[in-house]
Amino acid sequence: MLTKNQKQSLTRFLRMATSIVLFLVAWEIVSRLGLVHPSLFPPPSRVFLALIEMARTGELARDVRASLWRAALGFVFGGAAGIAIGLLTGRLKKVDNYLSPLIQLFRPLPPVAIIPLVIVWFGIGEVSKVFSIAFAVFFPVWINAHLGACEVPLTFLWSAQTLGVKNVRLLWKVIFPAALPFAVAGLRTGVSLAFIMVFVSELAGASAGIGYQISVSYLAYRVDRMMAALAVLGLFGAGADFLLTRLAWLAFPWLKLAAQR
Amino acid sequence: MIDGVHIQVEGLRVRYGEKEVIHDLSFSADRGEFVAIVGKSGSGKSTLLHALAGFIESQGKILMPGDVGMVFQNYAVFPWLTVRGNLAFGLHGSNAHQRDEIVARLLEMTGLAEEAKKYPAQISGGQAQRVALGRALATDPEVILMDEPFGALDMYTREKMQSWLLDIWEKEHKTVLFVTHNIEEALFLSDRVLVFGQGKILREYPVSLPRPRVESLKFEGNFIELKRQIVETMERA
Repeated sequence: MLTKNQKQSLTRFLRMATSIVLFLVAWEIVSRLGLVHPSLFPPPSRVFLALIEMARTGELARDVRASLWRAALGFVFGGAAGIAIGLLTGRLKKVDNYLSPLIQLFRPLPPVAIIPLVIVWFGIGEVSKVFSIAFAVFFPVWINAHLGACEVPLTFLWSAQTLGVKNVRLLWKVIFPAALPFAVAGLRTGVSLAFIMVFVSELAGASAGIGYQISVSYLAYRVDRMMAALAVLGLFGAGADFLLTRLAWLAFPWLKLAAQR
Repeated sequence: MIDGVHIQVEGLRVRYGEKEVIHDLSFSADRGEFVAIVGKSGSGKSTLLHALAGFIESQGKILMPGDVGMVFQNYAVFPWLTVRGNLAFGLHGSNAHQRDEIVARLLEMTGLAEEAKKYPAQISGGQAQRVALGRALATDPEVILMDEPFGALDMYTREKMQSWLLDIWEKEHKTVLFVTHNIEEALFLSDRVLVFGQGKILREYPVSLPRPRVESLKFEGNFIELKRQIVETMERA
């Protein structure tokens, strides 16, 4: 017998699955009607076969591994820097005065625009890709952590003050957790950007990765493989956001309680 | 400081920019005394506590012990810590054994032993406020400043919390400055009521009602008479 919560989860899953299945069925029908040449607009069944082919040859595993590794590294570096600097600019007036104008100057730059420059600096290897991803992830995480640190309720700070908690201990024990819901919101934006940037940076030059796979499939005019790679990218992007939220809830159970309120 | 006087404030002034919100205020509280400060909402009574605690800048002389516990209206319990974590928050100077002992005592005192592992989001407002007071008492401060601590609670919970607070105070006998806009609450809890308005103390009323205090006291003649006098003082302001 299912509990009320399990029933709600099942209903939610069925609704989501229904919309995806309906989308795939509609796509299959439209594609098979022959309005567009199947090479240009292959049905999902053919895209799936292309995916199987990529998996069998080992390309899929190689590309997924390469892209995920780059996205993860860039995300960790950009996210960690964003949180650390955001907490400091959010709480320390002097650090804010020195750093925030500089960060605000860089923030409106489209991350994609720095790729040519980064390639000139670091070459076409892994460093340039990870740097580009970290650059993109940094800004949304920084602004959220900064705002979170600015908005720590005074009563939290005053309570800590009366209990003799100050300086680094205050930053770690009060300001960081108080700003965490904001930082997690920034990280969720950052994870999407990491997947956008991994794709773009691989288009600019790579020998493996999902972006690379899309690029070579384009040159070979294999739209089915392009679509298969895009589907994989989308799946991992959505999965990463899901995983990030669950990991945050696991590490900080009170965040889940706050989200449910 | 005069013998027995625990808190002495002389010529206190607080400014917000150009505006002076507390003018030349003086009062004192004896060791172990429960002093209530009543005033209308927005009269600056919370500002007075914030100045005494050193949260905001002020001018004048404040003589009081350095170790002060503070309880706020919005509880200010940390949502990322469990009940136990909140109670232990200020005990960073103690070793693990002392910390466990103090927390166990506070859990018993607050009646929250069964909720020890719960987060503030999982307990009621009254329980959260008990955590806040327990946390303030953890470091055994000499003075407790309470800023409308029961203001966010419903009437029933508020009355239960008042009785609970009196029980704690009878045992711990800390010097308490208790800010509220609720005159009945001030009279029920305190030894002395300071009526605050226009940035100063308008008048003080000794409360010579017998202790331990029970709810029925609120319907007795001298309680009602004191309440009437305080209302009049506040209205005149």
